[in-house]
Amino acid sequence: MKGGWFKVYALAYLLFLYAPIIILPMFAFNDATVIAFPLSGFSTRWFDEMMQAPALRIALKNSLIIAVSAAVISTTLGIFAARATTRYRFPAKAGIMGLIMLPLVLPEIIVAVSLLVVLLGLGVNLSIFTVILGHVLICTPFTIAILSSAFQSLDQSLEEAAYDLGESGPSTFRLIILPLVMPGIISSLLISFTISLDEFIIAFFLAGTEPTLPVYIFSQFRFPSSVPVIMALGTVLVCLSILLLTIAEYFRRRGIAKSGGKDTGGFL
Amino acid sequence: MIAFQDVHKYYGDYHALRGITATIRAGEFFSLLGPSGCGKTTLLRTIAGFEGISSGAVMIDGKNMAGVPANKRPTNMVFQSYAIFPHLTVAENVGFGLRRAGLSKDEMAKRVGDALEMVGLAGYGARAAHALSGGQRQRVALARALILKPKVLLLDEPLSALDKKMREQMQVELIRLQRQVGITFILVTHDQEEALVMSDRIAVMFEGEIAQLADPETLYRRPSSRRVADFIGTMNFLPAKILSEAGGKIEVEAEGFGRATVEADQAPGAASGDGAAVGFRPETLTILFEGQQATDREATAVIEEVVYFGDMTYYDVRLDGAKTSTRISMRNVFGRPVLEIGAKTRISWSPGALVLFR
Repeated sequence: MKGGWFKVYALAYLLFLYAPIIILPMFAFNDATVIAFPLSGFSTRWFDEMMQAPALRIALKNSLIIAVSAAVISTTLGIFAARATTRYRFPAKAGIMGLIMLPLVLPEIIVAVSLLVVLLGLGVNLSIFTVILGHVLICTPFTIAILSSAFQSLDQSLEEAAYDLGESGPSTFRLIILPLVMPGIISSLLISFTISLDEFIIAFFLAGTEPTLPVYIFSQFRFPSSVPVIMALGTVLVCLSILLLTIAEYFRRRGIAKSGGKDTGGFL
Repeated sequence: MIAFQDVHKYYGDYHALRGITATIRAGEFFSLLGPSGCGKTTLLRTIAGFEGISSGAVMIDGKNMAGVPANKRPTNMVFQSYAIFPHLTVAENVGFGLRRAGLSKDEMAKRVGDALEMVGLAGYGARAAHALSGGQRQRVALARALILKPKVLLLDEPLSALDKKMREQMQVELIRLQRQVGITFILVTHDQEEALVMSDRIAVMFEGEIAQLADPETLYRRPSSRRVADFIGTMNFLPAKILSEAGGKIEVEAEGFGRATVEADQAPGAASGDGAAVGFRPETLTILFEGQQATDREATAVIEEVVYFGDMTYYDVRLDGAKTSTRISMRNVFGRPVLEIGAKTRISWSPGALVLFR
């Protein structure tokens, strides 16, 4: 059989990747506290319990505030940086960009520990804001990478044409540049949102008394009775991720169709 | 209309424009012609305001443009890539420059409609700009620039992305359009044929300098240097020696031609014995077929290469006594045979055909 082993390999790979995720909804709807086969019956009580846990709701709220703020701030910073690198020449450009992109490869634990030391040294109280700070730091390299490619594919003469036709710098940016890089901005927002939402180490170190969702989930695993609730929560999160990814892909394709480009790659 | 006064432009150490001084007249079709890297696009962009200049002055209508930004200049540009806004419709693209004019919706629609009609795209307003062909984008770019009624329209290699047939069609349309609107057109091109076809006057540029500024015919018949002659069409060169110079006539001894007389106005630059050359276009020499009499002077030659084009035949011939071959173009006449390689033939030329270079 030609290529038989490759098929087996591909199947095994996909199974390893997705089987654990299929386990999530299975036990989320299973009518038993213990996570073990055989399944004992259908139930939605873990979802009811999840809705009623006040600590979870607070953690979710914290996470959403942090993720939205981090996404907006890091994408805004990303726009400035991407614009600067693709349009202007300045001294030590490569060095500066290298330093900005460094958190991409820096171990998060190091970022988390050093941020904690600095913040405590400055006498800053740990809160949601310190987590946002840390998340902006690690999200910005991603947003710059995404937005740079969006800005790079923008023909510079489009800007010049708008300027030539009487528009000012800011109105050119609003009328021409922004609409054309919008797909990039949306993917940047979604990706930084996702990174922030499931980030654990920095949130764990910097959250103080306001835990984020991943930190809450980690803390709940100590209690066997709350594991099925976490399964239910996980199921909801997986569905939300798929939804987000679909939206991102929709906007990406629409952006390409709008500007008449050719589809190369993408998530789905 | 537009005047360059000793314009210099440096990019770091690179001297891109080296003292450009020229005047472009109101209402003329002016071309900046030269090989890539000669500074022609840079010069165009100094008019638009996209490039600053290092010294000198760019004047439009007697007003120094120093410090006037691109969006405040009475110029509009057609870009090489057309720069059509891909997220807007054709009508939105064309009407873009009128956004600030505060026109009513009807007035706006009317002016956009007129502009589209002028470039032959009536009824295309609602189309998405990215769905247009190259030629249509070109027209949208023209309509978008002309709708503002600029004093000067700047065209940066606007036809280079089109195929040959489309290009020739657009050349004619551009000439018609320019006559119709009466606006000064300034075209940047590296295509000498395009420049000759379209322009009232042409500035030939090499290495940031204007080598010659003249109308197409003068440029073709009286190029001011060997370089200009080489760039515009084909020109043959044969070494020559200047024998005497008196009363507006110059006696030369040229390879292949022997003694010949050249009018002083056909000899740009100062006289100096050796190292000179006579230049002549392929169509100014004639092969004498059997029975034909020379009208002026005659020489003998051997045919070395024959290139048949249907309506024309190009012969590469070696004039007796010449070290290099010379290209002659002959219109084919029905019933007259095309000569073969190796044939001996007689050549005739008129003295007015020769240009003397030193």
